[in-house]
Order: sequence, then structure tokens, then C-alpha cells
Amino acid sequence: MEPAILTEGLTRRFGDFTAVDGVHLLVVPGQFYGFLGPNGAGKSTTIKMLTGLMSPTAGRIQILGLNLATHPVEVKRQIGVVPEGMALFGRLTGSEYLNFAGRMYGLDRDTAAQRAAELLDFMQLSDQPKTLITDYSHGMQKKLAMAAAVIHGPKVLFLDEPFEGVDAVASGTLKSMLQRMTSHGATIFLTSHVLEIVERLCTHVGIIHNGRLVAQGPIDELRAGVSAGGRQTKITLEEFFLQTVGGANKEAQELSWLG
Amino acid sequence: MAGVNAATGEQLRAIARLRWLLFVNSLRSVRGRLNLVSRSIAGLFVVAAGVGGGIAVGAGAWAVMMENRLVWLAGLFWLIFLFWQMFPVMATALTQNVDASVLLRFPLKYSAYFLVRLIYGSMDIATALGLCWCTGLFFGISIARWTLIPWALLILVIFVAFNLLLARTVFAWIEHWLSTRHSREIMGVIFLLMMLSIQVSGPVLGRFGSRPSAQRLRVLSKYAVVERAFPPGLAAAALSDFAEGRGQGAILPLALSVGYVGLVLVLLDRRLGRQYRGDNPSFGDKRQDLSNLAAVRRGWRLPLFPTSVSAVFEKELRYFSRSVPMLFTMIMPLVVIFVMWGGRRGLLSSQAQFLFPIGAAYSLLIMTNIVYNSFGGDGSGVQFFLVSPVPFRQVALAKNLAQLSVFLMDVFILWIGIRFIYRPPNLRVSIFTFAWCLFAVPLNFSAGNLLSIYSPKRIDLATFGRQRASEATILASLAVQITGVGLGALAIYIGKLASTLWAGSFMLFGLAAITIPGYVLLLQRMDRFALQRREVLAAELFRT
Repeated sequence: MEPAILTEGLTRRFGDFTAVDGVHLLVVPGQFYGFLGPNGAGKSTTIKMLTGLMSPTAGRIQILGLNLATHPVEVKRQIGVVPEGMALFGRLTGSEYLNFAGRMYGLDRDTAAQRAAELLDFMQLSDQPKTLITDYSHGMQKKLAMAAAVIHGPKVLFLDEPFEGVDAVASGTLKSMLQRMTSHGATIFLTSHVLEIVERLCTHVGIIHNGRLVAQGPIDELRAGVSAGGRQTKITLEEFFLQTVGGANKEAQELSWLG
Repeated sequence: MAGVNAATGEQLRAIARLRWLLFVNSLRSVRGRLNLVSRSIAGLFVVAAGVGGGIAVGAGAWAVMMENRLVWLAGLFWLIFLFWQMFPVMATALTQNVDASVLLRFPLKYSAYFLVRLIYGSMDIATALGLCWCTGLFFGISIARWTLIPWALLILVIFVAFNLLLARTVFAWIEHWLSTRHSREIMGVIFLLMMLSIQVSGPVLGRFGSRPSAQRLRVLSKYAVVERAFPPGLAAAALSDFAEGRGQGAILPLALSVGYVGLVLVLLDRRLGRQYRGDNPSFGDKRQDLSNLAAVRRGWRLPLFPTSVSAVFEKELRYFSRSVPMLFTMIMPLVVIFVMWGGRRGLLSSQAQFLFPIGAAYSLLIMTNIVYNSFGGDGSGVQFFLVSPVPFRQVALAKNLAQLSVFLMDVFILWIGIRFIYRPPNLRVSIFTFAWCLFAVPLNFSAGNLLSIYSPKRIDLATFGRQRASEATILASLAVQITGVGLGALAIYIGKLASTLWAGSFMLFGLAAITIPGYVLLLQRMDRFALQRREVLAAELFRT
């Protein structure tokens, strides 16, 4: 079976600075893959390259067996993306936007309208049909961006911080939708700062630090740490993450004026 | 909480420094440096217009004073006033309002906020030229009669203050009125009435123009009383009174002028005060429509075009229809024709036929912002185009089709206006105009598509004065438009030489035979250009 996402030596440089340095990613179909890393580690740059928003300086990207550089349109047809900026058109209503998104992904007018209505209902956004997106709350915008990303039934879904600013109720809705998608064979690749969510949802994780992929694998294997006495013990994802990226807490003694 | 209530002066210095740093940092990019070059070139034109206009106004004032024809002073004041207030609305491509409301997150005092809005809002071409011309007026008067120096200074300071405040007040209130659907509808009705009044005023002024000159002078002197009730007239009246040694007579117009300044100040204060307290305009209606699930309507379908083109076309037209500043700009060609019109015996009545091509050229000019920065209004939405499986050439084509629809609608309204004010443009002129459009529209769209990708700038289509593209784009677009209009003028000249306008039309059809294939060729390369520029596009338009 072709991997859903495969990168080889993926590199991106900005002048002298290397944001992503020879990353080898492997995500198989049906995986719920969490891509973690501290701020500035290269997560967003990687996801931008995987979705065609940015070109790599070196390396190869293969999505569902297709080379992204040579088959960008074919790849884009099969993926859904919720990028960092959510890619919304603020001065459309929610239904107009979903309708637009569906047709841009090749759905006919009837199907686009029907799926838009269903998604609005599912995301609990249908009670404000005439409200412009710009007047939506942040959480509502996130839900709408997610709805637009799945309207064509993508095989791979890329989500950049999908739960940021989303309340518990909306978060529950999104999670159930994502889990349903993976149970039907779709692959989800998400970045998030909220490790609890990643721990609960993802089957696999990759950790990027200073542009390099420093860990990758099934979440349970990564959490199986070794205690001081040499015994196998299960640690939390947060503990593993901090061990991996070396996140020592900085003393706040210099900020004495904070009281 | 120490330090939170920083002094207003310190805050203003910090804001000035912020703007300076934004400028300096903008020079890090090639686009920023190009913008500086464009700004410098545009600055030269502004300096030329300011100095040249100042000298002309000064010479006019000097002549008026020397020949003691003080009644003409009002004309100079009205000229400056009309330019100062109308130019920003009529040429939004060259106007920019700084969005100072983002500063409200800081503990900014109201006085500082007011000053920032006033000062930074006044950094535009109209204010610069208005100030230059007022300075010219001052020197003209002073050189002619040095005894008037203190009075001229006082009157001009009041006049300048009025203009500065009025320009800000008009923008602040229009922005507010257009922020809700209800008031947008009211404004729409007002615009409609305005257009109707233009049509009605045609016959009225025509009848007036046919009267004997003595009778016309009598009517004019009657209207002069009305004219003197407004600040330009009051300023001229006060100056005339001082010049004629009737100092006491000048007190009333001076007091009324100060009263106008106070009134405008209060109006501006009311609006900015509300904004300061959190009542900021938004282009969306905050209505909560809790009606039950409405079925999602099917999208539009453009025959002969792929679904994706129809989808983008629909999205673009929805955007235009929700941008009242854009709609407001669209009626400007009619207003310009009205302004240029001096009655049936006026300036252009003998060449009235050519108002149609002139109006069409102006209609294309006012579309600069949407044609030459077509992704600017999409903001972060441009990412959607980049991640969707739709070739970028289709997105550009759909945008061009939407722009063409707006342009054609504008030309149609223009035709109706000219038909009512003068007479229907004849067939020769109509064909000539069509030929010019056939040549100029693809030329502008080609250049517009390129600049939209190579020099994008995030703009706010819903807020007055925030639609300006980048300086480099404006300069390049002006060059293209000057070329287009210049070739149109050359075609008219050739028509005159050949004693038939058909010759000019033939030349324009020939040029269209070059620009149309050029447009198609460029459109086919849009995917490659977009691929090369995708990072800049996404980064520039995501910027807030």
C-alpha cells in the first residue's frame, strides 16, 4: 500500500537559516498523525510544504503515491487543508463559502449545496445563515474552515492547529468528525500545541525540533519510557515531549517586578 | 499599574516611532524598496502640482487683489475646498486612510487617539496640495497688499482647519453609516436621488444658460448670498471686507467660519469618541437571524465556463456588492461628467460626444484597486486558491470576468447618464468607445493580473479609504492607463486627420488584435507565475 504521506530529505532554507532540515516523514493511510514541536521548530513550514503552499529547497514529497512537485492538481484534489490563516473569505456567509469550496473541489452545484447544508447543520452553524464569516467567532470560523476542508471527502486532511481557540463543545464536534474520518480510512495530519488532545486522538506522532525530525512512531511506543531503576514505565506524551526537545523551565527570577 | 497611564506625548512619540520602524522595515523587501521608488516618483508629481498650483493660485489671488476684483476671491477658495474634499473620494486609488483603531488595545488617551486619527488621516495628497495652494493664496494676497497679512493668515488658518477636520469627519461618518445594512440602503437611496437630480438639473441649467447675460448676473448675485453662507464663501467675504477697510463687517463671516470649524469638530469628536469607546464599524451586519435551517441555495452557473470559474465569479460579485465604498466609486464617472459639464453652452458641450469614451476611460481608471490588486481583498482566503485543485489561470479568468461585468455595468450607467444629460452617443463614437475598450481592457487586465501576483497588498474593500494598492502597483497601473488613454487620444487625432473617426476606431481594433492574444497568452502562464510567487502571495495577504 502506498504511504499517505512520504517525504525524503525535506529541507527548507530561508537565506542562512534552515527551518526544516532533511525531514523523512512516513504516514500510512488511516493514521491519525500528530506533528509536534516547540514554537519555531518548523511545524508550519513543513505543513505548508506538504500542502503546496511553499516549495521545498530540497527533498521530495509524495502524497498518496503522487509526487507533489509534478502532480500538484491531482494531489490537491485528494487532500483537505485547514491552514494557519484558515483561508476564509470573510465577506461571504458560511453557506456561500461552503458552496464555493465544494465547487472549487469539483462537486456539482446540487451536491455542493446539499453537503454545505449538512456540514452547516453538523457544525451547528446553520442558525445564522445570513451572518458574514467576518462576524463569526474564532471557534465558529475554525469549524467552518474544517467543514470547507472536508466537503469533498478528502483522503488526507492537513490541519494546522485545528483546536486553537475552539471551545470544549466545538472541540468535541470536531474530534468526533475526525475520528469518524479515520475509521473510514482517511489520514489525518495535524499540528497542535495541546498535547492532551494529541495524546487522546492521535495514533502516531512525529516531533520536530530545530528543523529536524527527532522522534516518530506509534504514540504508545514513544510513551514507553525507562525509569531510573531500569524498569519499563509508561510516561505521558508531555513528559516524552519535554525529554525529547529539552524543555527546561526558565526561572522567572529576573521578572521580579511581576510580583 | 505603574506606567499604564503613560503621558500622551510619550504615546504619540511611540506611535510616530512605530510608523517610522514600519517604514524602515518595509525597505528590507524588494517590494518595499520598489514602493519607496514609486512613492518618490509620485512625490515629485505631488510637489510639482503643489508648487505649480500654489504659484497659479497665488498669481490669481495677486491679480484679484491688484485689480480689486474681490468678488473672484470666492472662486479660489471654492476651488481649493472642492478639490480638498472631493479628490479623496473620487480617487480612492491614490488615497489611504490609516486604520488607527488597532491602537485602541493600548491605554491610549482619547486626546491622543483623536490627534492620531487627525494627523495620520491628513497625510494624503489632497491635504498636501490643499496646504500648498493655501500657502500660495496667502503669498499672493500678502504680496499684493502687505497690510492684509495678519487677516489673511487668520482666515486661512481657519479655512485650513475647517478643511482638515471636514475631510476626516466625512470619512469617519461615511464609514459608520455604511457599516450596517439598513444605513447602506438609505445611502443607496441617496445616491439614486443624486443621480436623478443630475438628470433633472440638466434642463434647469440649460434653460438658465439661454437667458440674457444681465438676467444671468442677477440670478448669480442671488445665489452668491447662498454661496457666502458656506466656509469658502465666508473666508472670501471676510477677506474682501478687510481689503475694503470694513473690519467690522468681517466679524460676522469670521465668527461663522469659526462656528463651522466648531461644528465639524463636534461631529468628528462624536464619531471618534464612539469609536474610542468601542463602537467600531464593521462591514458585516451583526444581525442574529435565528430562523430555522435555510436550505443552501445552489451556486451560479456561467455557461461555457467550468464550475470553478463560476464559483469564483459568484464569490467576486458577492464581494463587490458588499463593498459600499466600491459601489460608491462606481458612480463617480457620472459625477465627473456632471462636474465637467457647464451647461449646454459649457466647456464640453461642443465635444459632448466624447464624454462617452472619456467616461469609459475613467471607469477603467477607478477600477485600479480591484484590477491591479485583485487578491488584496481576499486576505488569507488566497491560501484557499493555492491549496485548491483549481488552476490559477481559472481563478484569474473568473476575477477578470467579474471585473469586466462591473466595468460594463458602469459603462452602461454612463451611457444612460450621457443620454439624459446630452443626447445618446452616436454610432461612430459608440463604436470608437467599444474599440478602445476592446484594446484597453485586455491591456489593463494583463498588467493587473501580473501586478496582482507580483505586488499584492492586503486591502479592506469594506472600509472607506482602505482600498489602496501598493505604491509600485499604483505607479505601474498609472503608466499602463496613461498609455491606454494616450493611444486613445492618438486614435482620435488620427480620426481628425483622416476626417473620419472610423480611422481611429480601425487603429484601436488593430491594437486590440495585439492586446487580446497577449492577454490569453499571459493567462495561460498564470499557473507558473502563481507557483513562483505563492509564498509571497500567502505571506503578504495573510499580514494584518
